[in-house]
Amino acid sequence: MHIFDIYLPVAGIEFSVVLLVAIGFCVGTLGGFFGVGGGWIVTPALNIFGFHMAFAIGTDLSNIFGQSIGAVRKHQKMGNIDWKMGLISIITSVIGLEIGSDVIISLEKAGDVGVIVRWCYMFMLTSLGCYMLYDYFVLRSQQLKNTDSSDPGAADGKSGRRGAANTRRLHRVKIPPLISFPASGIEDVSLWTILLIFLLTGFLSGFMGVGGGFMIMPALVYLIGLPTTVAIGTSLITVLFSAAYGCFTYAVKGRVEIFAALIMLIGASIGAQIGATAVRYIKGYGIRLLFAVMIILAALSVGTEQFYKITGKHFFQSLAGIVLMGTAISMSAIIMVKLVSESTKEKRSRKAKIAQTSDNESRHV
Amino acid sequence: MSTTRALVILLVSLSFTCVIPVVFTGYNEVCSSEAGSEQSTEFRNKVDTSKLSGIEYLIADMYNNDRVLYAVVVTLVMATLGTGMAFLTDLVLKALGLEVSRISHKE
Repeated sequence: MHIFDIYLPVAGIEFSVVLLVAIGFCVGTLGGFFGVGGGWIVTPALNIFGFHMAFAIGTDLSNIFGQSIGAVRKHQKMGNIDWKMGLISIITSVIGLEIGSDVIISLEKAGDVGVIVRWCYMFMLTSLGCYMLYDYFVLRSQQLKNTDSSDPGAADGKSGRRGAANTRRLHRVKIPPLISFPASGIEDVSLWTILLIFLLTGFLSGFMGVGGGFMIMPALVYLIGLPTTVAIGTSLITVLFSAAYGCFTYAVKGRVEIFAALIMLIGASIGAQIGATAVRYIKGYGIRLLFAVMIILAALSVGTEQFYKITGKHFFQSLAGIVLMGTAISMSAIIMVKLVSESTKEKRSRKAKIAQTSDNESRHV
Repeated sequence: MSTTRALVILLVSLSFTCVIPVVFTGYNEVCSSEAGSEQSTEFRNKVDTSKLSGIEYLIADMYNNDRVLYAVVVTLVMATLGTGMAFLTDLVLKALGLEVSRISHKE
């Protein structure tokens, strides 16, 4: 396998090109499909395979920046981006992020907060994942009861999710100024509600030291009430801008391995396009189901890492990395299989329609 | 796609993934105490350019002497390659009949 190794002069190590492209491809697919950055996969993966942590974070952010450009472009084509919401999200999330990181810094003075952060992270991922799974299964059972409905979305009437109740509650708050988001189909919602939600997601990102894409997307869906596809596109805007900023600042500090980032970007760009295209073929509730499974598996990986911290056995650290990469590869595989099967179905039905039309015409003649 | 099919793919991929780290680094390296951050390289602020040539030398020299310029180059190159690759992949996907257009946002 060493024939695929390349010397990375900035990091001063040899690394497999195939591995870089593969990691990039997986994270790109997930990024384009779920509207997340995927730093929680790339950073530990690079670190496990020999990158210094400082280089792993910077290189990862550079890759996320590059891959997000293509994904944003694709989602823009599909009308999945609410720029107004995205802009508010960027500004408010940054403030929340600063508050969150300040809290962490002050807590660090009191002692080691790493354990608390990891437990919070695990709790967040698990609870969010379980809520989304619960939401999905309730909709499925409602669909089964409602024989007239062929779409689980119809079970909830308008939005196709139980979280719509939360949305309605939050939309009832009418503290001025009220703001509308025509691109998302949201009318007259209090600006304060939106600011508070993004402040919270930003705070949690800063507190847990993560990008935040995995929190912004569900928050947009379950709290603000955006359709899942629009939430994905809008979340990507925040990811794009924060990654661009991260790429530059980490590079100034000398913590970006440009050659590794470029090689990874080749796989990531292809993956991001495939992931974003797959959004067209999978319904909102399906995307949310896959997202829920993915974050629960990510929580499992963090939990395994926690075992390593407690027992000191490196087996658990390796296992955590394997679970994480396994999750990324599995999810990418599911997304690709779904894309291929659904697009083939669509092509077949289109052909059948054309054949039927020409048949009718010939009979008419 | 049925849930069963999705679960089968998930399980197959997970088992396949367990093989990947072993293939690329060897089981002993993956499970040894050297794995993870301990195996990682030391963080260096300067790159040894004596054995480098061509583009590698240029980039490493820039990294050593002008970090802001290095950051600008990294950001611009990532943006350019990101856009270029997206454009190329888009063309390939179009050729495969996977062209996208405005979609309806029904759940």
